[in-house]
Amino acid sequence: MPEIVIKFNDKVIERIVTEKKRVTIGRTKDNDIVLENRGVSRKHAQIEFADESAVIIDNESLNGTFVNNRRVSEELLRDSDVITIGKYSLEFHHEVKKPDASTQMDGTMILKTKQQKQLVETDRMEREIVTRAGGSVLLGLENTEVAEFRIDRDVTTIGKAKFVHVRARGFMISGIQAKIVREGEHSFLVNLGRKGKTRVNGEVVDRIQLKNSDIIQVGKSSFRFVEAG
Amino acid sequence: MRLALISDVHANLEALTAVMHDIETRNVERVFFLGDAVGYGADPNGCIRLICDLCEMRLLGNHDYVALGLDNADHFNLMAKESILWTQKTLARKSIERLADFEMEATFLDYYFTHASPENPADWNYLFAEQDAARGFERFSQSFCFIGHSHIPGVYVRRPDGSIGIVLPGSFEAKPDHRYIINVGSVGQPRDGNAQACYLIADTDGNKFEHRRVPYDLAAAQKKMRTAQLPEYLITRLSSGQ
Repeated sequence: MPEIVIKFNDKVIERIVTEKKRVTIGRTKDNDIVLENRGVSRKHAQIEFADESAVIIDNESLNGTFVNNRRVSEELLRDSDVITIGKYSLEFHHEVKKPDASTQMDGTMILKTKQQKQLVETDRMEREIVTRAGGSVLLGLENTEVAEFRIDRDVTTIGKAKFVHVRARGFMISGIQAKIVREGEHSFLVNLGRKGKTRVNGEVVDRIQLKNSDIIQVGKSSFRFVEAG
Repeated sequence: MRLALISDVHANLEALTAVMHDIETRNVERVFFLGDAVGYGADPNGCIRLICDLCEMRLLGNHDYVALGLDNADHFNLMAKESILWTQKTLARKSIERLADFEMEATFLDYYFTHASPENPADWNYLFAEQDAARGFERFSQSFCFIGHSHIPGVYVRRPDGSIGIVLPGSFEAKPDHRYIINVGSVGQPRDGNAQACYLIADTDGNKFEHRRVPYDLAAAQKKMRTAQLPEYLITRLSSGQ
């Protein structure tokens, strides 16, 4: 049976195993796969199954359907293809990769992680924050003096010095431990101070392009990067 | 206690080394650095290393700030910009890490230290005249402020009646109830017409100060700059101290 792994901001939120000949995808509740995001049309796309093949068909959606980052109107799906719709990605497999306990619904098994609502709610709140701030924002999570810091300059400094824009705490971190540099539409986090004291999503970084919802750790302080747009 | 206050080394390792040798002979206990380790000269990594090894307190200058990529170089003149872009390419990872720990301002006893005008240190304004000094005196509480930035040794005094005066650089003793802003001069690129490296010795017992001038191997510094293909004007100006 084919399986579709749904991810939101790179986190798995649902695995769908289906025997249906046709799976509809869209924002409204009457779809087989409901994706709650403004970038998703009400009846966005559908996957048609025939014999051994599967085809994704875009229903002339506003923001498009992408297969492996290429916009498509109708595309034969191969194993492990990644379909992108709004902020969601759907990984397609001809056969179930991880059979698991499940609930049976009209021949479709839905393996929910229960995180979906929380993720979508967090996303909605973050959209409100960046809209109000008028730009990308750092949200203070732990050990920080800032609750919300707008990234409105070309370079934002983070560290323990008094003169940096965002103060961070921690043993052995530098006065200016890191900087966030805006280059056009993108923001990059660059480590300047001691090695190993700047992390993104748990990984030590020297320079990395920031993505929405990335967790930045500088010493003991952590922040969530919320990207505008 | 005798302190040596050095500033504006600007990647001139020959001048910095000569000054450190001079400091060794002057019965100094502590060396403080007031900013601009890099920019203009050909030895940014060597100078940062030596400053970190020998200076107990280290401040950022505007060239260091741009070298770290924290500000763009568009407000620099063309030659300063060319040299700072060269510096950015030349800085070792370890040098960046070291610079990232330099401070914007510091205090010690009744002394306040920053690189540029104390009016607002991070704005990197110059202090060239009595009216600049008058505004500066309002922004620190200590009796003495030490700066660099203009590369011109100088002393501004605020008398008890609030009037501002100028004291010629050299050796002088502070008067009671007077406050001072003292530019310690530049180690690596003096601009007061004297090509010798300049720094200040401060004796905290009695607040006695001395601007010292130190000859150094200017030709060697210039040769390195030519090898690095730094702008010729920056090379020749070292000879005239302008």
